[in-house]
Amino acid sequence: MSEQNKPVLEVKGLQTYFKTDAGIVKAVDGVSFTVHEGETIGLVGESGCGKSVTNLSIMRLVPSPPGKIVGGEVLYEGRDIMKMSEKELRSIRGNNISMIFQDPMTSLNPFLKISTQMIETICLHQNLSKKEAREKAIKMLAEVGIPSPEKRIDCYPHQFSGGMRQRVMIAMALSCNAKVLIADEPTTALDVTIQAQILELIQKINKKFKTAVILITHDLGVVAGMCDNVCVMYAGRIVEQAPTEELYAAPSHPYTQGLIASVPRMDESDKAKRLFSIEGQPPNVIDLPPCCPFHPRCHKKIGICEHMYPPVKQLSETHTCACWLHASEEEIKKAEEEVKKNG
Amino acid sequence: MTKYIFKRLIGMIPTMLIIITLSFFIVRIAPGGPFDGERALPEVVKRNIEAKYHMDEPLWQQYGRYLFDVIRGDLGPSYKYKDHDVNYLIFNSIPNSIILGCIAMAIALIFGVSFGIIAAVKQNSVLDYIPMGIAALGLSVPLFVVGPLLQYIFAMKLGWFPTSGWFSEGLGWKTIILPSIALSFAYYADIARLTRSSMLETLRSDYIRTAKAKGMRNSVIIFKHAMKGAMLPIVSYLGPAFAGIITGSIVVEQVFRVPGLGKFFVQSSFNRDYTLIVGVVIVYSAILIVMNFVVDVVYAQLDPRITYK
Amino acid sequence: MLRKKEQTVNEFNQVVVGNSLTKEAWKRLKKNKMAVFGMVVVIIYAIISFSASFLPIYPYDESIIDHQHLRPSLTKTSGELMLEQQYKNLYFKAWRAGRLVLSEEENQMIEDLILKNETNKVWDYLYKEGESQREAGTFEFNSTEQKTIDKYVDKINTDIQITINNLYYLLDGKKTSLSKLDYDTLLDIYAKEIKADSALIETSLDKEIRSQVTNTVKASLTDATDEDITAAVDLEIENMSRKDWESKASDSIIGKLETSAKKTIEKKMKAQIAEGSVSFPFKGDIEINDHITAKAEVSLKHMRRYFLGTDYLGRDLLSRIIYGGQISIAIGLIGTITSVLIGILVGAVAGYRGGKIDYYLMRFVDIMYGLPYMLLVIICMAIFGRKIFNLFFALAMVSWLTIARMVRGQIMSLKNQEYVEAARSMGASTSHIILRHMVPNSLSVIIVYSTIRIPAFIMQESFLSFLGLGVQAPYASWGSLIGDGVASMTLYPWKLLCPSIAMIVFLFAMNFFGDGLRDAFDPQSKNQL
Repeated sequence: MSEQNKPVLEVKGLQTYFKTDAGIVKAVDGVSFTVHEGETIGLVGESGCGKSVTNLSIMRLVPSPPGKIVGGEVLYEGRDIMKMSEKELRSIRGNNISMIFQDPMTSLNPFLKISTQMIETICLHQNLSKKEAREKAIKMLAEVGIPSPEKRIDCYPHQFSGGMRQRVMIAMALSCNAKVLIADEPTTALDVTIQAQILELIQKINKKFKTAVILITHDLGVVAGMCDNVCVMYAGRIVEQAPTEELYAAPSHPYTQGLIASVPRMDESDKAKRLFSIEGQPPNVIDLPPCCPFHPRCHKKIGICEHMYPPVKQLSETHTCACWLHASEEEIKKAEEEVKKNG
Repeated sequence: MTKYIFKRLIGMIPTMLIIITLSFFIVRIAPGGPFDGERALPEVVKRNIEAKYHMDEPLWQQYGRYLFDVIRGDLGPSYKYKDHDVNYLIFNSIPNSIILGCIAMAIALIFGVSFGIIAAVKQNSVLDYIPMGIAALGLSVPLFVVGPLLQYIFAMKLGWFPTSGWFSEGLGWKTIILPSIALSFAYYADIARLTRSSMLETLRSDYIRTAKAKGMRNSVIIFKHAMKGAMLPIVSYLGPAFAGIITGSIVVEQVFRVPGLGKFFVQSSFNRDYTLIVGVVIVYSAILIVMNFVVDVVYAQLDPRITYK
Repeated sequence: MLRKKEQTVNEFNQVVVGNSLTKEAWKRLKKNKMAVFGMVVVIIYAIISFSASFLPIYPYDESIIDHQHLRPSLTKTSGELMLEQQYKNLYFKAWRAGRLVLSEEENQMIEDLILKNETNKVWDYLYKEGESQREAGTFEFNSTEQKTIDKYVDKINTDIQITINNLYYLLDGKKTSLSKLDYDTLLDIYAKEIKADSALIETSLDKEIRSQVTNTVKASLTDATDEDITAAVDLEIENMSRKDWESKASDSIIGKLETSAKKTIEKKMKAQIAEGSVSFPFKGDIEINDHITAKAEVSLKHMRRYFLGTDYLGRDLLSRIIYGGQISIAIGLIGTITSVLIGILVGAVAGYRGGKIDYYLMRFVDIMYGLPYMLLVIICMAIFGRKIFNLFFALAMVSWLTIARMVRGQIMSLKNQEYVEAARSMGASTSHIILRHMVPNSLSVIIVYSTIRIPAFIMQESFLSFLGLGVQAPYASWGSLIGDGVASMTLYPWKLLCPSIAMIVFLFAMNFFGDGLRDAFDPQSKNQL
């Protein structure tokens, strides 16, 4: 379905580095993907692999210092967000692209009423009076399933439960009919039952308002149920990108294979069989040597993996993968020679 | 809310009682009476004086009498200033101290908060370094050095302000400036540093990120979203700051010869003027306790998360 | 365990070094330049003030009254400064008498300055004018003035300071130190020296000792009546053993001999100065008479240099500041340690025991917090006497509150930490938990807090001393020096500026060091600047 729709957000070669005492952390190092209208794209990976930073970078919200977006472009409807003025940027934030965050407990301002926080957003981006904005806010709260929203709107955030707060966040994010909703692990801090409700809500909104959703998660089950496309991230780069069905049917990168194998399966009959787990730890991304960052944990590694980052290979029209296993013989030979030449 | 206020008001009573009791007994068990300075009074005269001031009664009776008088609002006669009672002395001098303290507090708050915010917003720029450098100075330079130095530089060398005195003595409004600046300096320093760090902390918080993601303007973020949260530590700092200003005013009044309560306090502690010492301490403590109460109420007003139980 | 000796390597062959928290903190501290600078300054101050008695400075009890209120000077000796002051006086008198002629404008300017109480400017101006006029030959001192100056110069050149280190007596052909002789021999020697009856001497010695005892009794019993004092003195003397009495009497005799020796030395030295046959500072044996030799140091009084000037008693301000710093820093250190110990005790008990004890202790702390405690300290100082011990006791008693709260909070949170529960679940004993988990984890916080407390403590002490309620003369602290300076800052600004600067630099360094320590130990600290 995504083929017919035009792209709303294109991320090309995004690089975000953090300067720390220990060295430069390349949190995001050349990430590219495209989000189409009405599409849900999943960003999967272990904690610390750069998912959140990617999305903060899209909105230029990376705390600076120490963070800095050093390269790449993010095109929203053809315009580069990275080159926008503060004013243009503000008109996009919260209006065209909205975000909801991991922890609903701290993401709402505890000192302001929900009404204040919602109305100011609506008034900021839409030409509505305060009263109309309030009505709209109440409507949105009803939309996300807050009971008796006309009363609850004047409460403070601490008077809501975690799931309710996340609903408020979603209502606020959607109150200006955003084209893209970035959901940064929206369910991690919530109970399992509430998680399902929130995900359902996001899905409903995605269908109803044709909002494109970038869903950041480390839960492959969530991705399978919700996303059209999946990007698998590892150590600041996208290692595999494919439509969900294709990825689950034929994972090509050893890391993706490992991830999928490590999901406990209800339909597996053999209970005694040990669950697969990827050995080792995700690498510290400070001063990484030139190599495939996954090689120490990879059970299929070959010689070249330790010396050079693999090229991104197009496996099918929609499926890309960065792994030496999919490179041709000549490419590997060429790379090996180059490594030898450089010592 | 009313209940909360009422409860806090009740809570002030034991503190007040402890202060009265403590200062009363410290003073009475001290060696040497107030009349020791006047050498060798005839025994009869001495006894008469003691009877007049009820000093011949047992201690607990004196304490009870005193407590009763204090509750009625009568702080008793002064032992040294024979013509006046303590009430008269205190209430004649306290307006000067209050004016001095309030102006100093206002200066510290206005400059401290605004420079603190500017420094936080313009972190690592000149606008950060200069006010924070001055604040670091204020932290290390004690009040009794600031006062005389200001006096030396601005009054004696430059002659911009009078060296000492007070406007109530008909010396003009300029007399207020140096003492209040001296008194406010240390609190400016604390408030500026506190504002800066709490502002920085708030600006790093998740809800500010949300506000930014909503496309709010920077000024709106700072003054509408961050301000309340960032001001909470300042409000709770005001209690200790009031205590400090009260103590500090003793030195400032001494240095700039302000006819306030602090001068009486030092004099009376040299003179062993029992009733005056206790009276001054009670008045100071009452001011402090009321201020702490006000601070608590303001804090509760600011932070919606506090429930009044 | 087997790999312990080898270097640990991560999956990319990058060496991984395990660092203790303290090591990390030290690394962070070293990076913070201001903190290192602060630390160095603090160490220098500490070394200077605690080695004060070995430093080549004039001890504050060896002051010369002629040197009162000399201005700070790096190059000029006290004699030159005294002369300069004398000249200023003479020029001023000459100007008043109309002999030092200035232009009309200049006269007017000086009159204005006098009205404005700018005495220093008047003196400086007239001195400059006078010197230039004298050089140009338009002004000359008259004979009386010249005589005054000559006399003064003579005094400056000949006044000597004599310190007798030891007296020797020629006993049986051997030089023996007087201090090693017993009372009877001393009495004999003294009687021979002054050619008096030894019984008579004994009576006068007895009187002397009695008056000495009376003085000490009076000092300790300030409020006693005369009869009480007499009774106390009688009792004291009765209880005195013969040996005590003899040692007191011996001291007195030696003192008398020293005084007369000093007179003799002065005479001899003056004669030698007139001949020009002596150079100062002189150090060595001087024969007083046939039997007595003195080992003495002689220096010219007015050759002293005061880099930071002097005060109203002619005491060297530099030495006053160093000794004052010694007291201030010592009170700061001891006071902080005491208050921290009290705080740890209360806080640990409240935090570890919890329950009712915790409730009451913390309510007490709350109430204490509400008190204007500096006022209570002031009352205590006014009432129980202005002694250093009282001062630091009163301060320590009121400043343990914060540390108690902090330690309590720390212990409470540690008690519920997962790793403490883990240790407990593995069967660790209470003492093991306290010693291995709680103490090491709270220690850094406490040390950092104590460092931050020291300047505050010093400030409070100085605050009281400034009001005259703290350290009393002859001792000084920075606060009392500044207090002295304030009283006379119009005429002698260095008395205010020098101790102020000394104190500010120290507090500044201490604050930076403390902040640096805190940031190093607790990088996520909320109060970071």
